[in-house]
Amino acid sequence: MRSNFANSGKLVRFMLRRERVTSAIWIIVVALFSAGLAPAMDQMFSEPGARQQFGESINNPVMVAMMGPTYGIENYTAGAMYANMMLLWIIIAVAIMNIFLVVRHTRADEEYGRVEVIRSAPTGRLAVVNAAMVTAAIVNIILAIALGVALGVVGVESMGFAASMLFGFVVGIAGFVFAGIAAIFAQLASNRSGATGFSFLALGLFYMIRAAGDMQGNDVLACISPLGLAHRSQVYVENNLWPFIILLVEAIGCAVAAYALNAIRDLDQGFIPARPGRSVAAKSLLSPFGLAARILRNMTIIWIIVMFVLAASYGSVIADIPTFVGDSPEYLQVIGIPEQIVNTMTDADKAKIIVDYFGVFVISMMTLVALVPVINTALKIRVEEREGRTEQVYAAAVPRMKYLLGYVILAFVLSILIQFASAAGLYSATSVLEANPFTFDGLLQAFFVYLPAMWVIIGFTVLIVGLFPKTTGAVWGLFGFVFLVSFLGGMPGLLPEWLQNVSPVKHIPQLPLAEMTFTPLIILTVIALVLTVAGFFFYKNRDSVTA
Amino acid sequence: MATLNLETVELSKKFGKVTALNGIDLAVNEGEVFGYIGPNGAGKTTTIRVLLGILQATKGSAKVFGLDAWKDAVEIHKRLAYVPGDVNLWPNLTGGEVIDLFVSLRGKQNKERRAKLLEQFDLDPTKKCRTYSKGNRQKVALVAAFACDADLFILDEPTSGLDPLMEQVFQECVLEQKNLGKGIFLSSHILSEVERLCDRVGIIREGKLVETGTLSELRHLTRITMTVATQSPITGLETLTGVHGIRTQPDGLSFQVDSAQVGDVVSHLAQFGVKKLESTPPTLEDLFMRHYDSANVGV
Ligand SMILES: Nc1ncnc2c1ncn2[C@@H]1O[C@H](COP(=O)(O)OP(=O)(O)OP(=O)(O)O)[C@@H](O)[C@H]1O
Ligand SMILES: [Mg+2]
Repeated sequence: MRSNFANSGKLVRFMLRRERVTSAIWIIVVALFSAGLAPAMDQMFSEPGARQQFGESINNPVMVAMMGPTYGIENYTAGAMYANMMLLWIIIAVAIMNIFLVVRHTRADEEYGRVEVIRSAPTGRLAVVNAAMVTAAIVNIILAIALGVALGVVGVESMGFAASMLFGFVVGIAGFVFAGIAAIFAQLASNRSGATGFSFLALGLFYMIRAAGDMQGNDVLACISPLGLAHRSQVYVENNLWPFIILLVEAIGCAVAAYALNAIRDLDQGFIPARPGRSVAAKSLLSPFGLAARILRNMTIIWIIVMFVLAASYGSVIADIPTFVGDSPEYLQVIGIPEQIVNTMTDADKAKIIVDYFGVFVISMMTLVALVPVINTALKIRVEEREGRTEQVYAAAVPRMKYLLGYVILAFVLSILIQFASAAGLYSATSVLEANPFTFDGLLQAFFVYLPAMWVIIGFTVLIVGLFPKTTGAVWGLFGFVFLVSFLGGMPGLLPEWLQNVSPVKHIPQLPLAEMTFTPLIILTVIALVLTVAGFFFYKNRDSVTA
Repeated sequence: MATLNLETVELSKKFGKVTALNGIDLAVNEGEVFGYIGPNGAGKTTTIRVLLGILQATKGSAKVFGLDAWKDAVEIHKRLAYVPGDVNLWPNLTGGEVIDLFVSLRGKQNKERRAKLLEQFDLDPTKKCRTYSKGNRQKVALVAAFACDADLFILDEPTSGLDPLMEQVFQECVLEQKNLGKGIFLSSHILSEVERLCDRVGIIREGKLVETGTLSELRHLTRITMTVATQSPITGLETLTGVHGIRTQPDGLSFQVDSAQVGDVVSHLAQFGVKKLESTPPTLEDLFMRHYDSANVGV
């Protein structure tokens, strides 16, 4: 039994050595970014009572679904507000870090044949997965301490040192649960992308379970999700310890399950048996474009289904939104309904207005999520290049530009398909209602109006692929920024106006509420084209970079 | 009777419906260099992975140093070094770091030995693995293996990317270990290498061990090529058992003869007045071709 873990210690040291850069960057960015936002939120409301009012206004189902239940309203301190609004997002970032970390050291190394050589040394059967979990634990502890200290010393009165440490450790333990979940999927899936994909799907699912539970005020449902559980710590107000303990038990449970699965499977195998494929290629595969389409096929289909279902699940709650929101003027304001409309709207059209504003919110949210597969599609050629597979394609007399064009066209096409799927998903759920608030045309327009902004991001991706192939992380940086602007941009004084204007999404008219204007759309499309063409130009003239 | 370094009995491995190994009986003695050869997909790598305890046998048993390959993997691996056919390393670590990792996992470092091997293999340990060529990656794995104080070396096509000079260095390393009494299990497609290094050879085909023995034993099972020139024309050769492929040459005949029948053939030839007689023992390649080409099986 002990021999199953033999040499785990040395592997841990080795993994930490491999992690020294990546994890260090994650920890520093998470700690600095999180701590940096704390004083900004503290100073946002200088007048006494203003924060209180804001707290009451965000205590509505939509915001609760997004950020978890509001707490500490009786005396809404900056700390309460910070933890309330930020905890989940920080946990999601840390969960992503953990998923990548664990998959990198388990399934990915296995796929590359590195685990085989490690296993030929006197290391235990479970040593690799065990070492990956221990490494994740250590990284999470360091992150917890760094985050806790950073929040503790940043000088916000209501954020005491001990409570800040609790905040850090709640984030760390919740992240560690996702390390455990990733370790399980690293056993179940038979390759790296499967393991990563399923883990992300689990993260998304847990976010939605929590949102559903919190919105209905169903604590049990919300606490099925580690995210909901973590939020119950109510840091800076109640400072509960019990969620931490349950999360710790969950994480250990996941790790044990992963060990058990690992023990009963062969190296390089998953639990989904491989079946023989075609012996002769389909005609559709036999072109550079066909190859690109084939490489992306499964991911594309899965994403389109996911987006359809996600949109439908939003659509299914939309009829209840007016009841949830009720008459409270604050709620109406938070959904984004301007005061003069609130004042002038009649009981007859009130529900419709609320639904319209909620619809706009859902559409922008869905569009941001849709950017993930779209960016991945445009970046795929870079992944292929890094793994040394483009070389053979180019050696087969395929012009570089033509192969790149395949991926870029697919990214553009996917942006349209996915917006269509979202519109269809939303419409399919609302069409069963007695009075459907949407027309299909209207929804399609509202989703499609975002396309030029998505194209700018595709263009930026192509430019990076052409110009800075080694720093594709910049694309995800831009994505994070766009996300931030869309969700926190509304908070007064948090992000300066000029900075917000860098986000292409900011310039999109939010149909059907805003009036349609073509000028920004045309400008964005032109920018997208210029970026794309520039990317092609640089790609044509650069070396292949296989690392 | 020498003690066994590794032994498999009725070893079978299935991947779903695919049978990769089908009743392999191997026995490799201590201090022996064993060559394991066979066509692509025959099951060499699968055998090795079962011996390493990273695949679990479907049926039968696999033992190394008398210990169970699956259950006692850790104990076994303390005395064993392995070089895989496809060497994939961590792109952001240097060759030196990787070598140290593998050696330290097995036990104590031997700095001198490491330095000597690096020099022999002409390897720069300060480069990141992502910048190594295929051959250089293989050298990293070889140095890591030979720098260990192992009793058994399992090598899966260890030289497929090496240049001839490095191939030479590799062979010297193997012979050095052999002289120290270490066991070596070498799977390879490079037959000259196997012929030069191995005491015994096993040939695997479609998951079955079709032949094992010393090279001379194996040769005994096959045919010798003879070229003969005589004073009077040869007659009746085709009526002898064990003679095949008779062909007319400018100054005589050439044919193949089963090793067991050589005596009969030579006395038959004597009556025609032999002017010249050349006999070529089968190379491993001939042996091989016979087993590799499925159409010829059993000929
Ligand atoms: N994980 C697996 N799943 C299914 N089949 C497998 C798996 N691994 C190996 N096989 C099959 O088992 C057989 C033996 O493969 P193995 O890798 O042992 O061959 P090999 O003798 O090492 O060949 P080569 O000389 O090409 O290295 C092959 O038919 C192969 O397709
Ligand atoms: Mg092989």
